Amino acid sequence: MQASPESTGTIYDIGYRGYDGPRLGRRGAISAILWAGLRSIFGMGRSARSKVLPWGAVILAVIPAGVAIAIKVLAGDIIELYSYDDYLWQTGALLPIFVAAQAPELVVNDMRHRVLPLYFSRPISRLDYVLSKLGALTLALLALTLLPVLILFFGRILAAEDVLGAVGDEIGALPGILGNGLLHAIVLASIGLAICAVAGRRAYAAGAVLALFLIGSVTSGIFQEQGGGLAGVAPFVHPLAIVDGAREWLFGGAVDGSPVASAGVPMPLYGLAVLVILGVTWLVLAIRYRSVTT
Amino acid sequence: MALISTRALTKRYPGGVTALDALSVEIGEGVIGLVGANGAGKSTLIKILLGLLPATDGGATVLDLDAATQGAEIRERVGYMPEHDCLPPDVSATEFVAHMARVSGLPRGAARERTADVLRHVGLYEERYRPIGGYSTGMKQRVKLAQALVHDPRLLFLDEPTNGLDPAGRDEMLDLIERIGRDFGITVVVASHLLGEIERVAGWLVAIDAGRLLRTAPLSSFTERTGMLLVETEEDAEPLAARLVGRGIDAVADGRSVVLDLATGGGGEYAVYDALRDEAVDLGLAVVRIEHRRHQLEDLFRDGGVDASVA
Repeated sequence: MQASPESTGTIYDIGYRGYDGPRLGRRGAISAILWAGLRSIFGMGRSARSKVLPWGAVILAVIPAGVAIAIKVLAGDIIELYSYDDYLWQTGALLPIFVAAQAPELVVNDMRHRVLPLYFSRPISRLDYVLSKLGALTLALLALTLLPVLILFFGRILAAEDVLGAVGDEIGALPGILGNGLLHAIVLASIGLAICAVAGRRAYAAGAVLALFLIGSVTSGIFQEQGGGLAGVAPFVHPLAIVDGAREWLFGGAVDGSPVASAGVPMPLYGLAVLVILGVTWLVLAIRYRSVTT
Repeated sequence: MALISTRALTKRYPGGVTALDALSVEIGEGVIGLVGANGAGKSTLIKILLGLLPATDGGATVLDLDAATQGAEIRERVGYMPEHDCLPPDVSATEFVAHMARVSGLPRGAARERTADVLRHVGLYEERYRPIGGYSTGMKQRVKLAQALVHDPRLLFLDEPTNGLDPAGRDEMLDLIERIGRDFGITVVVASHLLGEIERVAGWLVAIDAGRLLRTAPLSSFTERTGMLLVETEEDAEPLAARLVGRGIDAVADGRSVVLDLATGGGGEYAVYDALRDEAVDLGLAVVRIEHRRHQLEDLFRDGGVDASVA
């Protein structure tokens, strides 16, 4: 249909146009959910207010790395503020806050407002949906668990007088940095998502996540101080301590002040505990999403 | 060509409820009304056809794809509008429909373009940039329809699309459905318990009751002439009926009206009209109205004893 010159200003119904272009199917759907999840976690395309917390957390997580590098540049190797091993233990308090604030957004609305049937009537399965959401939260968490340590890593190399020599010195730490970042991100994402999937509302979900980590941290601290048999249990009531133990088991490097140091239990137990956490949270997710009626 | 075909499709839920009972039906193109009372199995049928629910027995194909094994392929080319609320309140219609387009597999650019097109077609303009939470029921129904339409499906399943709408909104929704079927060339299966609405938009009817196929036929055949003539008179019609019966015509009087069978009397339809005229004149009986009896859609359910409400 064509607009005739004398009738400019009229809105024309151009009729229905079909779509013959490419259809990306399940792969396209999964990547769409993943990217939309990342965008929502970081408040992209949303108000400035919803960007404050996620970006604030990222900045706070990165600042210590920046400070450490600045000191290294100014003072040389005299003071070492953070090691790769204890960085996440030091900034760890940010992780539950980030998860509590941003994970509910990811899944609670879809569940509560019954949007899921619209997803499931598209070329994805329930598993695809859950894995996409889990992937989005894991990737987002890497901004807190991997990015700062990588900044520290590259900063230390570039700030060194002998850059090539520094590469040789530092490169050995890279697998541990990557592995630890990924480990933290996956465990926290699994816990966060499982809690959110069960909680009916965003506020409940956020509260439950914070409570779990806060209570875990406090209880763990008390057990650690009591010493004796309780010290051996101390790391296992706090998810972040379990992950730290698994890190030490896999990559070595003890952390001062962590309940892992004083627990004195066989290190593979931490690996086992991580597997239990992942197993339980994934089971919770599977059961929760299987029961959604379409 | 049949777009949908089911063979002895049976669905029994754990707990013994039989939602579909050996349902075999072929559905072609156009606007198809899937009618039945609440709980007749309409929604169950749609979910099986979308590959979301396994059948207990029998099978179904949609667009020549097997619903049991090729659900994802079916869902790529089919749109679905559920009966219940299913929209997140805190995003705009544009954002939501574009996201749903991408989850249907459309690339980013195409998703954005088609979202703009489709929202315009369903009649959402400026308000599409505002969060859905502030929409009226009618606007929400349009968004639900838009998300089902945005990936240009071959086939559209609408489950009770006029639910919760006021009469004006209902008319607009029905007009929209008619346009989708006629102008967009998309086959629409409208599940509804409201026969009056189905009658307005559907060209073909599939009636199910208690999970069984009651009848499937063009809508016209449900409402076609029955060969019966209804004659209303100003006074008692009994003498007229008696005279017509005397001429060999099947006629039954009921107060001030008489129903007669045009196929009887041996002289053909016009002989019956002539006889009616002659006898009425002879009796000096004033005829108020003559009309062909038509089948009523509700007759369909009357025998089954189903409580089918009419809009």
